[in-house]
Amino acid sequence: MDLHQLWTILSTPDNVPIVLLLFVVPFYTWYGLRQAFANDKLIAQLESDPAMAKTHHRKIQPFKPGWTREVHVWPYLLRIEFLAAIIVTVILMVWSITLNAPLEEPSNPTLTMNPSKAPWYFLGLQEMLVYFDPWMAGVVMPSLIIVGLMVIPYIDTNPLGNGYYTLKQRKFSILTFIFGFIVLWVSMIVIGTLIRGPGWMWFWPGTTWDHNRLIFEVNRDLPDIFGISGRVGKIIFGAMVVGLYLAAAGVLMHKLITKTAFNRKIYARMSVLQYVVMQTFLIVMLALPVKILIRLMFRIKYIWVTPWFNI
Amino acid sequence: MSDQDKDPVLHSSLSKHLFIWSALLVISMVWGLWDEMYGIRPWKSYEARFEKLYSKYLATAKTGQAATERQIKGSPEYQRLDREMQAAEKAAIPEASAIDKEVNESLVPKILALNDPFQVTRAHIGSLTYEIEVSTSDSRKDSLRQEIQKLKDEVQKIQLPGPGEEPRSMKFDDMAKLLQDMKDKKAALLQKRVDVMKKATELRAGRDQYLSDRLADASTDTIAAVENSLANFDIRIRQIHVKDVDLVDRCESCHLGAREPVVLTKAAMGGEAVFTSHPSKELLKIHDPEKFGCTPCHGGNGAALSSVEKAHGYNKYWLWPMHHKENIDAGCQQCHVKEIVTEMADTLNAGREIFRLRGCRGCHRYEGFDREADEIASVNQQIRQFEQQKAEWLREAGFKEQKANNPRTSDADAKKLNAEANDLKVRSTGLDAKMEQLDMRSHELVREVKKIGPSLKEVRVKLRKEWVPIWLQDPHKWREGTKMPTFRLDADEIRAIGAFIWQSGVQGELPQQKPGDPEKGKEAFETRGCMACHSMGEGNQKQGGTFAANLSREGEKANYDYLVRWVHNPRQRTAPYCTFEKKDLTKADYDKHNLPYVFDLEHSRCPNDGHELQVQQMTPMPSLRLTEDEARDIASYLMTRKGTNASYANADYLDDPNLRNAGLAKVRFYGCAACHEISGLEEEQRIGTELTKEGSKPLERLDFALLGHEAEREGWYTHKGFFEHKLENPAVYDQGKEKARQDRLKMPNFNLSKAEIDAVTTFLEGSVDASVPPKYFYQPADQRQDIIDGWWVVRKYNCMGCHRVHTAQTTIFDTLTKYQDPDWKDQKPPTLIGEGARVRPDWLMRFLGNPALSENDTNRDGVRQYLKVRMPTFSFSDGELRKLVRFFEALSSQSQPFIAEQLDPLSDQERGMARSLFSSEGAPCLKCHMTGDAQHDARATAPNFTVARERLKPGWTKRWMLNPAMMSPGTAMPSGLFRHEENRWVFAGPTPSSFSGYPKDHADLLVRYMFQFTPDELNRLRSSAGSSGN
Amino acid sequence: MKKILIGIGLACVLSLAGCGGGGAPETAKKLEPTAPAAGGGAAAVPDEANGATITGKVTFDGAKPAGKAIDMSANPVCMRAHASSPQKPEDVVVNDNGTLKYTFVWIKSGLPDQNWQVATTPVSLDQNGCMYSPHMIGVMAGQPIAIKNSDPTNHNIHPQPSTNQEWNESQAPGSADKNQSFARQEVMIPVKCNIHPWMRAYIGVVAHPFFAVTGSDGTFTIKGLPPGTYTIEAWHEKYGTSDQTITVGAKESKTQDFSFKG
Repeated sequence: MDLHQLWTILSTPDNVPIVLLLFVVPFYTWYGLRQAFANDKLIAQLESDPAMAKTHHRKIQPFKPGWTREVHVWPYLLRIEFLAAIIVTVILMVWSITLNAPLEEPSNPTLTMNPSKAPWYFLGLQEMLVYFDPWMAGVVMPSLIIVGLMVIPYIDTNPLGNGYYTLKQRKFSILTFIFGFIVLWVSMIVIGTLIRGPGWMWFWPGTTWDHNRLIFEVNRDLPDIFGISGRVGKIIFGAMVVGLYLAAAGVLMHKLITKTAFNRKIYARMSVLQYVVMQTFLIVMLALPVKILIRLMFRIKYIWVTPWFNI
Repeated sequence: MSDQDKDPVLHSSLSKHLFIWSALLVISMVWGLWDEMYGIRPWKSYEARFEKLYSKYLATAKTGQAATERQIKGSPEYQRLDREMQAAEKAAIPEASAIDKEVNESLVPKILALNDPFQVTRAHIGSLTYEIEVSTSDSRKDSLRQEIQKLKDEVQKIQLPGPGEEPRSMKFDDMAKLLQDMKDKKAALLQKRVDVMKKATELRAGRDQYLSDRLADASTDTIAAVENSLANFDIRIRQIHVKDVDLVDRCESCHLGAREPVVLTKAAMGGEAVFTSHPSKELLKIHDPEKFGCTPCHGGNGAALSSVEKAHGYNKYWLWPMHHKENIDAGCQQCHVKEIVTEMADTLNAGREIFRLRGCRGCHRYEGFDREADEIASVNQQIRQFEQQKAEWLREAGFKEQKANNPRTSDADAKKLNAEANDLKVRSTGLDAKMEQLDMRSHELVREVKKIGPSLKEVRVKLRKEWVPIWLQDPHKWREGTKMPTFRLDADEIRAIGAFIWQSGVQGELPQQKPGDPEKGKEAFETRGCMACHSMGEGNQKQGGTFAANLSREGEKANYDYLVRWVHNPRQRTAPYCTFEKKDLTKADYDKHNLPYVFDLEHSRCPNDGHELQVQQMTPMPSLRLTEDEARDIASYLMTRKGTNASYANADYLDDPNLRNAGLAKVRFYGCAACHEISGLEEEQRIGTELTKEGSKPLERLDFALLGHEAEREGWYTHKGFFEHKLENPAVYDQGKEKARQDRLKMPNFNLSKAEIDAVTTFLEGSVDASVPPKYFYQPADQRQDIIDGWWVVRKYNCMGCHRVHTAQTTIFDTLTKYQDPDWKDQKPPTLIGEGARVRPDWLMRFLGNPALSENDTNRDGVRQYLKVRMPTFSFSDGELRKLVRFFEALSSQSQPFIAEQLDPLSDQERGMARSLFSSEGAPCLKCHMTGDAQHDARATAPNFTVARERLKPGWTKRWMLNPAMMSPGTAMPSGLFRHEENRWVFAGPTPSSFSGYPKDHADLLVRYMFQFTPDELNRLRSSAGSSGN
Repeated sequence: MKKILIGIGLACVLSLAGCGGGGAPETAKKLEPTAPAAGGGAAAVPDEANGATITGKVTFDGAKPAGKAIDMSANPVCMRAHASSPQKPEDVVVNDNGTLKYTFVWIKSGLPDQNWQVATTPVSLDQNGCMYSPHMIGVMAGQPIAIKNSDPTNHNIHPQPSTNQEWNESQAPGSADKNQSFARQEVMIPVKCNIHPWMRAYIGVVAHPFFAVTGSDGTFTIKGLPPGTYTIEAWHEKYGTSDQTITVGAKESKTQDFSFKG
C-alpha cells in the first residue's frame, strides 16, 4: 500500500476537483431524489384528498391551517441565496489561497510526459479511447452525447413533470440520465484521473505508479478470434455481430420501456419518431458499457473491423 | 400556536448561519491578505533580519576598526606625514586664499555682470545671422547684415561691480574681448591655486595611502558610508537584470551580504550563512554579477522568491537546480568548456583530469577531449577543400585567359582578364603553402596520438603469461588505484579475453640483457625523476606520482629484457603500424622494397605506400636519455619489486586458438581498444554514450531502472544523484534487474574515492547546453588562447609532476620524503613560474626539443647538469613545441614574436671590474654556479653562466639578481645581494677597489657582463678566482 | 435539517480544498557556535621561584663516530680558517663523558593554554670559519635571532622551515648583523648556506620558554615549569626524537634522562 503515491495523486491541484466530484455528485443526486420523493408523496396525498388539495398551496410542505398562502421571494428566498453566495465565496477564497496553479517544467517537444493526461473534464473522452477507435471515441461519441442531451426534452414530453422535482413523472429520463452521467461519464473521469498510471495502465489506488511496469495483454479483434481472415469476411462478420447487438439491445430496451403501466402510458403517447430516436440513443449509450465489459473481460479490441472505421 | 404549527419558512431564522459564514468569509479574506503580503514573500523577513544583523555588526566592527586606526594614526610615521601635510598646507593657504578672494569677490561678479548684456546682443545677432542664411533675396540679406552691424556698433553703458569701477560705454566686440580676458584670468588663477596646493594635496594623499595600506579590513569611512546607506534601507526585491540574456536574478533579495564592501562571515551575521559575503571577491571581479548574474554560474531559479527550496531550484520540474557546495565548480564548465585547466576551479580541473587520464574519454566521447583525433580529421578535410579550391581557381584562370585571347575581346577587357587570371594563379600558390603546413601537421599528429593504457601488441614480449588472467580478474586487487578499471568478468570471459589478447600480440625477438645492479637502479629510480609519474610502495608506504602505474609488484609481471628496452626508450616499438594499410608491418614488408627494417622518427614512412607510420609506442612516457647500463640497473631494480606471495597458476590455455574468436567478441564488447592499442582493433569505435551535454539530458532519459522510486524517496532523483551512484558503483542500476549477460551495464568499476567522484560529478553536472548565449563563452582571441591550448599539452605530459607551472601548486617532489632533506631540496626540478619572462622562446624551443642541448652527449641535462633528476626527452611534435613555447610566453604575457633586447657593450674597464667582482670573496657567484670544472660542478647548484646569453632575457636576469626569493621562494639563490642607493643598485658586499667612483648600476653591469660571457672568459675568471683564494 | 446537510457538504469540500496546500515559508535560521576566543590572555612569564625544575642529561651509547673532516677545498678562505685542525662535522658530537651535544630538549605538550612572554634578548647565531656556531639554538616564537658573519667571505643564511616563511639572505663579510625571527613554533628548522654546502645549523622555535640545548656536558635544565604532567621530547638531528612523560609539582625538581643509540 503506497500511501505516498496515493496522496500525490489526490493532492495534485488538478485532481482536487475530481476528488470533490466523488463526494459532491452522489450527494446532490441523493439530495435531488429525496426532494423528488417528497413531492411525489405529497402529490399522492393531495390526489387522495381533494378537499385538502383545494386549500393547499405549497408543493413541498404538508397542509397546515393558518399558514399564509404565498411566501415572498424577499426575504425568504433571497436570504438563502445570499447565504449560498457567501459560502461559495469562502470556498473559492480558501481554494485560491491553498492551491497554486499546477505549473510544470517548460514543455520539451522531444519528451512527452508519462502518463500524459487531458484536462480532467476531458478525461472521460480520453478513457473512451481505450475502448473505441479514435474516430468513434473522439468524434462520433461526443457529438452523440451532446445531441442526446439536446434531444431529451423532445422525447420525454410529459407535462406533468414540469417545474418541480419528481421521480414519478420522469422516472425513465432521470434513470437514463443517472446512468449516462454518473455511471458512464463521471466514473470514467474518475478512472482516468485516479487509476490510469504510466503507459495508461490500470493501477488500483494505493499501488505505486511504476514506470518500469510491464503487463502482458493481447487485445484481438473479434473476427480474428473466430479465425476469420480477409477484409470482406471481417467486414461482413463484424456487421452481423453489431447488427445482432442492435436487434438484441432494441428488444431489451423495448421490454424495459413497456415494463410498467406508467411507462406504457408514456409509450402510447410517443410518436414513432420520438421512439426511434430514443431507441437509437439508448442503444448507443448501452453500447459503451457493453464494449467496456467486452474489452476488459474478453480482451477484445474491435468487433467490426473495416478500412474506414472500427467498432 | 405550538411549535410544530409555526410556519417553517416564516419563522425559521438563518441569522446563525449567516453570522458564522460571514465570519468565515472575513477570516478567509484576512488570510488571503496575509498570504499575499508575507506568506508568499518570505524574502521580506530576510531583508528585515539582514538590516538588523548588519547594523549590529557594523557597530562592533566600527569600534574595532576605530581602535586600529587610532593606533596607526598614533604611530610616529603617520604623525610625521600628517605634520608635513599640515605644514605644507599652512604654507600654501595664504596664497591660495588670496587667489580665492580675487576670483570669488572680484572676477566672478564682474563676469556675471558683463555676461548678461553681452548674451542678449549675441543671441539677437545669432538669430539675425540665421535669417541671412535662410533668406533668399540678396536685398534682404544686405538689410539684415546692416542690422547686425548696427547691433555691433550700438554702445552700451556697463557698470561693473567692485571698487574703482566707473561705468564704461562699450561696443559688442569690446564686451566680448573683456569677457574673454576675465575668463582667461580666472582660469589662470585657478590653475595657479592648484599648483600652490599641489604639495599639500600630494602629502595628504600620501598620508591617507599610508593609512589604507595598513588597514586590512574596510576603513571606518567605508563602514560609515555603509551605515548611511543602511539608514535608508528599504524592503524591496533586489534583482539583477541582464537585458541581452533577459536574465532576472533576485538572489540578492535574501543573500544581501554577497556584494557588501564589508566582509561578512557567518559568525558576524549571527550564524546566518545566507547573509555572508561572496567567498571570492576576485571571481566576482572577473565575472561582474551585473553582467553575468548569479544563476548562470550557480544554477537555481533566479526569479523565484516564494520559498528557499524553489529559489534554489530544488523543487520538482525546475531543470537547473543550484549546484551543491561540493560541485560548485560545475558552473564554470558551461562557458570554460574548451579548457583542461581553469584557474580557481580545482574540483572541476580534477574532474576533467580524471576523465582524461583514467580513460573515461576512451569509451565516452566528450567534445574537445580527443583533440589529436579531431584535429587529424579536420586537417585532412581542410587539405581536401584547399585542393578543390585550387583546381577551381586554376580552371577559372584558364577560362579567363581563353576569353582574353579571343580576338573579339577588347584590349582593355583582355588586359583585365589576364590580370585576373594571374591573380588567381598567384593566390593558388598561397594555397600550396597552406596545404604544405597542413600536410606537415597531419604527419606530426600521428605521433601526438597517445593511448590511455599500454599497447597490448607487446604483451608477448612484455608480460608473464600467467599474470594476465589474475590481472583481468581484478586489477585493483592486484594494484590498488590503478587506471585499469575492474570489469564484471566471469571465468570464461577472462579465459577468452586473455587468450585473444595474448594471441593478438605481435611476435618479436628482444636482445638478451645482462643483469644490472638493483642498488644503483633504486638510486636512479628515486632520483632521476621516475617518481614524478610512477609511485612505489603500497598502502601508506606509497610514494610518488599517480600519473602512471604503481610499480611495487612490477617484478611479478614483467619480462626483464623488455623492461630494459622500455626504460631505455619507452617509445620503441616491436613493429611499426601503418595507419593506411591498418596493419603492423613486418620485416617482410621492408624486404619487399629491399629496405632495412628500421623505423623511427626519421624513418616514419610506410615502405608499401609512403603513408605516415606509427613508429612509436603511443605512450606519453618520455626517454630519460639513460645509458644502457642505467636502464639495466633500473630494470633489475624493478624486477626485484615483488609481492610477498607471488605465485601464479599456469595459464597455457591462453594459447588455445579456439578461445580466440570468443575473446575477440568480448574485447569488442567491453571496448578494451578504447584505452589499449590492440592488433586489428586500432580503428575501433567508442562503445559509451557521448557525455558532452550529459548534464542537461532530461532526467527521464537517465535510466534509474528499479531505483527510481527509491531515488525519489531519498532525494537523489537528480543528475547529481545519478552520476554519483553510477560512479560509485557502475553496475548499480542493474540492481534487481533480470538481464542476460550481454544486456548488463558494461561500465567497469574505477574504484574512485569520494573526492574523485565529486570531481567527476562536478564535471558532468557542468556539461550542459549553456543557458547563456555563446558570447559569454570563454573563447579569447588573444594570448589567453595559447594558455588554453598549452594546458592540454602540459597535462598530457604531466609537466606538473616535476615543475611548479603555476602558483599554489605542489609537485610530486614536494611530497617525496627523500626531498624533505635540506640537501635534497636543492635537487628539485626548477619551478616554471614566469618561465616565459625568463628564457628566450627560441632557446626554450630548442631545449624542449632536445633537453640535452647537445647531439652527441645526450646523457646529461642541458642546463642543470648538477641535478640528479633530469629533464626527459618527450620527442614533442613541432605543434606541441609551438604550443608549449607560446603557453609560457603567454603566461608571462611576453609579446610575440620575440625580439632580443640590445645591451650596450662593456668597456674593457667595465669588463675588468665585473670580472674582479665575480671572483671576489664578497661575490660568491662562482661558488654555486657551474664553471665547467668537473670537480667544482659536482657541488654546484646553479647553471653555467655561459648559457645565460642564449638562454635568458636580460630584464629578467636583473630582476632575479635583485630579489630571487620573490620569484621563487626557497630558491638556493640568496637575496639581498644588492642594496638600493640613490636610484641605482649597488653590490651589498665589499666591492673591489676598481668600483670606486663607478656611477652606473652594478646589477646592470653584471647582467651585461653575463650576456657577453664566453667559455674562455670563464676560464680567465676561474683562474683569477683561484688566485684570489690564496 | 437541510442546512445541516449543506453544512456537511461544505465541510468536506473545505477539508478537501485544504489538501495540497503550500507549506509555510522556511527560514534558514541556524545558529552556529561562534569561534572560541584565543586561549590565554595576558602573556605569562615562567615563575622561577616556585615553578618546578627538570634537569637531565642525554647519554649516547655506541661507538663514538669518527667523523671525517669536512672538505672545504672549494673555498680557500674557509680552508685557511681551519688550517691548524681540520673541522669535523657537528651532526653527532659525543662529549668525553659519553653524552650527546646539540640535542634539543623541550616540553612538547601538557602546558596550560596561554601565551608566554616572548623573550626580547636576541639569540646569536654566528658564521665563523664557514661553520654556524652554535650548531643548534633554541628560541621562542617571535624572539629575535642575531645572525652575524665573522668570516672574510660572503655567506647566505637559508633556513628551510615547513610552517614558517622560508627566506634566503646573503650576508657580505663585515656587514651588520641580521635580526630575524620566526613567528610560529617549529621543531626543528634546518639552516644551510648554499655557498658552503657543508654548513648546517638547527633552530628550534617553541611557543613557550621551556626548552634547552645540551652543551658540552650533555645536560639540560628547564626551569619555572608550572606543576603538571608533560610530554618532554629530546630531538637529535641524526638519531631522531624520544618522548617521555613526566609529572612535576610546585617547587619540585626532577631529573629526566634521555639516551640515544649510535
